[in-house]
Amino acid sequence: MKVPILKQGNILIATIQSALTDQDLISLKDNLSHQVIQHRSHGVVIDITELDVMDSFSTRTLRNIASILKLRGADTVIVGMQPDVAFAMVQLGLTLPNVKTARDLEEGLTLLK
Amino acid sequence: MEKDTESEPTSSYAYNLMKEMKLDEEEILHRKAWLEFEEPDVNRLLELNDMAQGYATEVIESLYDHFLKFDDTKKFFEDPQVLNRVKNLQKKYFLRLTNGNYDDQYIQERIKIGSVHASIGLDVKWYLGAYGFYLRAVGKRIFKAFKSNPEKALESYFSLEKLVYMDIGLAIDTYIYQREATIKIQQEAIRELSTPVLQLREELLILPIIGAIDSQRARQLTEQLLHAIRDKRAKVVVIDITGVPTVDSRVANHLVQTVDASRLMGATLIITGLSAEVAQTLVTIGVDLAKINTVGDLQGGIEEAERILGYHVTKSLEDDSK
Amino acid sequence: MKSFQVSVSIISDADIVTARQQARELAKTFGFSSSELAVIAAAISELARNIVSYAKKGTIFVKLIQEQGKKGVLIVAEDQGPGIPDLHLAMQDGYSTMNSLGLGLPGVKRLMDTFEIQSTVGQGTAVTAKKWVM
Repeated sequence: MKVPILKQGNILIATIQSALTDQDLISLKDNLSHQVIQHRSHGVVIDITELDVMDSFSTRTLRNIASILKLRGADTVIVGMQPDVAFAMVQLGLTLPNVKTARDLEEGLTLLK
Repeated sequence: MEKDTESEPTSSYAYNLMKEMKLDEEEILHRKAWLEFEEPDVNRLLELNDMAQGYATEVIESLYDHFLKFDDTKKFFEDPQVLNRVKNLQKKYFLRLTNGNYDDQYIQERIKIGSVHASIGLDVKWYLGAYGFYLRAVGKRIFKAFKSNPEKALESYFSLEKLVYMDIGLAIDTYIYQREATIKIQQEAIRELSTPVLQLREELLILPIIGAIDSQRARQLTEQLLHAIRDKRAKVVVIDITGVPTVDSRVANHLVQTVDASRLMGATLIITGLSAEVAQTLVTIGVDLAKINTVGDLQGGIEEAERILGYHVTKSLEDDSK
Repeated sequence: MKSFQVSVSIISDADIVTARQQARELAKTFGFSSSELAVIAAAISELARNIVSYAKKGTIFVKLIQEQGKKGVLIVAEDQGPGIPDLHLAMQDGYSTMNSLGLGLPGVKRLMDTFEIQSTVGQGTAVTAKKWVM
């Protein structure tokens, strides 16, 4: 399932669904990378409220997305991670160092203003 | 066999209890073997049944007279209707001893008695005393009836005694089992109560941890906290560990995990109350404390939290407040 | 009819999603907490991804089990791939041969209550892990 990307002012909002495949994430990386330049966005919010699991691949890919977007001139904020997902992630030994996080979309948008 | 018109159907509760206590056929046979309760015993008890029918009412009456002499047991029989009902049940229970057929059903009935006594709060000593009273009352009558054959009297009495010991074993095991179950439930309740997540103000939670932390509690704590962060929309959480006696590497790693997980959700964690000894231990065992935001005491932690949240707390002067 | 096990063949990355969703649905019927379900899903995701990345194809098998009064799930991840030459090394944090595994196996071991791995070079790998309801 493709991840929809919305443009709000100079910020892009990507909303991830629960059944996220590796391919969806890779396309998201490519799409965001293109669109931040196309729309001259200075920030991207990735909303993962619906996501019910994070493993090493999705963690690494999100981290890569943030790094790539940084190089393309945009800040990334990950918002809405569920408690159970966060707990399983840290038990796996995974974190998102150097990536901004916020509780929800609203706070993510405020952070990028 | 049994005239079942009057006997109470054993509840599925007693049946479940029997299963939970692992009183299966093998275990029951095992218990009987231990007591040397064998086929001749069953027959001897059956032989006593006719006689027992004769003296049942008398024995029960004297037993209840005895009960009423003690305040601890008297209090259960203040209502005459209850007393009457219990006497009838007791008589049935009494006659059941000489009814033969000491099977599954019998075990269930005995477990039920233990469970009922435990639930009304009748202590084991009263139950044991009452059984002793029974044995004396019946023993006297058996020896009188078999006056010409004391050997038979003794054999019959021993058979009864074996069965009574089996009953007592079952009843006490039920007591213990139920008490342990209660303790387990209470322990869980205490565990939950011992880690209250308190909301100090909007977006600010406080979690004072008191008592030792093992892996399971640490896991529950983290789980509870992360859910509270989402449900109460917290931005900052202050965890106070002043009340935690020892922090070893496992507990420390759990703290680090909790810090990481909270950050992933967009919240900040502040840890307070880390004693000098604990801090030294953690450095010695090489826990990565760089990630942990620590503040000396709870007050300092709350002040730091308020600063992050953008609160500016000042003391109002009486005259020109507002 | 209520089923007590699922078996998902893993060939592409879409199967990873299927495996973790089916495992989650199955485990849910057994009384796992939401946090435990996330842990099970994460473990299966890692194991299934190892299959896709290294062995190209294999199977994830999940079964509800009961032992000594405890309830739990048994997870078996099997493949006939190239196998792992140095298991000891693979079980160390940070090990990666394709720069994509990283914390995979040791992470899964941490998530589960029991963890066993068998691997023969040229024949394949089997991971067996259990998680009990808390």
